[in-house]
Amino acid sequence: MPNKSSRSYVHLKKLWTKKHEDLQKELFTKHKDAFDWLESNSKQLIVGSAAGLYLLTSPILSEIPHTFEAAAQTVPFDKKVFLIYDLKNVLPSEVRPLNLEEEQKVMEVLDRTFGMSVKAEMSGIRLNTQYGFIGQEQHLARFPGDNIYSHFDTPEDQQRYLKYGMAPGLSAWRYFADSKETMTKEDSDREKYYIAVQTFLAPGFNENRSRYVEFFKYRKMLVVNPENGKAMIVDVADAGPAEWTGKHLGGSPEVMSYLERYDGSQKGPVLYFFIDDPENKLKLGPISL
Amino acid sequence: MKHKHFYSHLIQSTDITLEIAELDIQKQERVNLLSLFEVNIHASVVSAVLDELSPEDKKIFLKHLSEGNHKKLWQHLNQKIKNANRKIENTIKRVKKELLEDIQEAKKLKKKSKSF
Repeated sequence: MPNKSSRSYVHLKKLWTKKHEDLQKELFTKHKDAFDWLESNSKQLIVGSAAGLYLLTSPILSEIPHTFEAAAQTVPFDKKVFLIYDLKNVLPSEVRPLNLEEEQKVMEVLDRTFGMSVKAEMSGIRLNTQYGFIGQEQHLARFPGDNIYSHFDTPEDQQRYLKYGMAPGLSAWRYFADSKETMTKEDSDREKYYIAVQTFLAPGFNENRSRYVEFFKYRKMLVVNPENGKAMIVDVADAGPAEWTGKHLGGSPEVMSYLERYDGSQKGPVLYFFIDDPENKLKLGPISL
Repeated sequence: MKHKHFYSHLIQSTDITLEIAELDIQKQERVNLLSLFEVNIHASVVSAVLDELSPEDKKIFLKHLSEGNHKKLWQHLNQKIKNANRKIENTIKRVKKELLEDIQEAKKLKKKSKSF
């Protein structure tokens, strides 16, 4: 990493700071009455999380980078943009299993971005890949009697996800709950945010089948679409897809929809890593950045 | 999910990020430049909106802005400014173009300094 600021950085910083100062000056002069009114009424207004006003009145510009850290805590940047760029620099151009160096770099980016501990390997177990093509799965029966008409929490969900249908068989670990009455939110979320991974291709699976099956059951994972930065905490609730499909994992309709991934000729890759969450603190579902 | 700024849906910053990323600068410097990009866009958008409003409507806009109430803010703008969406989008495009040109200039500086 260079120790000295480059010429282009110094030039741009000076130029853009000056531009903003001029804009601020013009803004406050031209619309003085409105800002004076705002200032005198600010106690009556709920000025809180509003980045909108903060950015206008912030004195950080002439101070950059000295006070940047404090400002950044108040006004978070679009982390997705950083994530996309950082991953673009690390990932290979073709979709293939990552080598150990790439894997380490990706984990560092994900740890840093999402503030959680992600692992390619846990308890000596790893998947065949952490970077692969994701395919579309169907809904899974959560309890005996669950069907496509009783499956959804809201009419909107039904309208959106009904078309994907129910898988003809049960998940690799059968039902998520014994009955509708005993089904918890966690059970329901495990089906909603599930992925199917190729457990059977994990190195060592055949030699330690029961240990692996137990390990993978509802194992929490982080799935990231590296092309749009969308990420979700999901769980492993099924095994698949078959190797011949050319796909490496499958996502529930809810997972695919959120990640904006599609099956068939439009299929695209995702990153998927185990999450080390021994106290089960992290909830399944989309992650906001 | 709520957007960070009321105009966030009108802004596409990936090209700026990638342009900045191509500069040979430190990570924190990259963040600093993106923050300057953000505040320049913000001030320009707010200025463009205020230019279109009457004194009383400016107060209402600033109130909604300070409260982060994007829904009411847009209702207000759509009532008071014809084609508010498009006007804001044009402002963002104009400022972004200008800042992208600045980056191109900065890249030339880098090349010049290398040739010495």
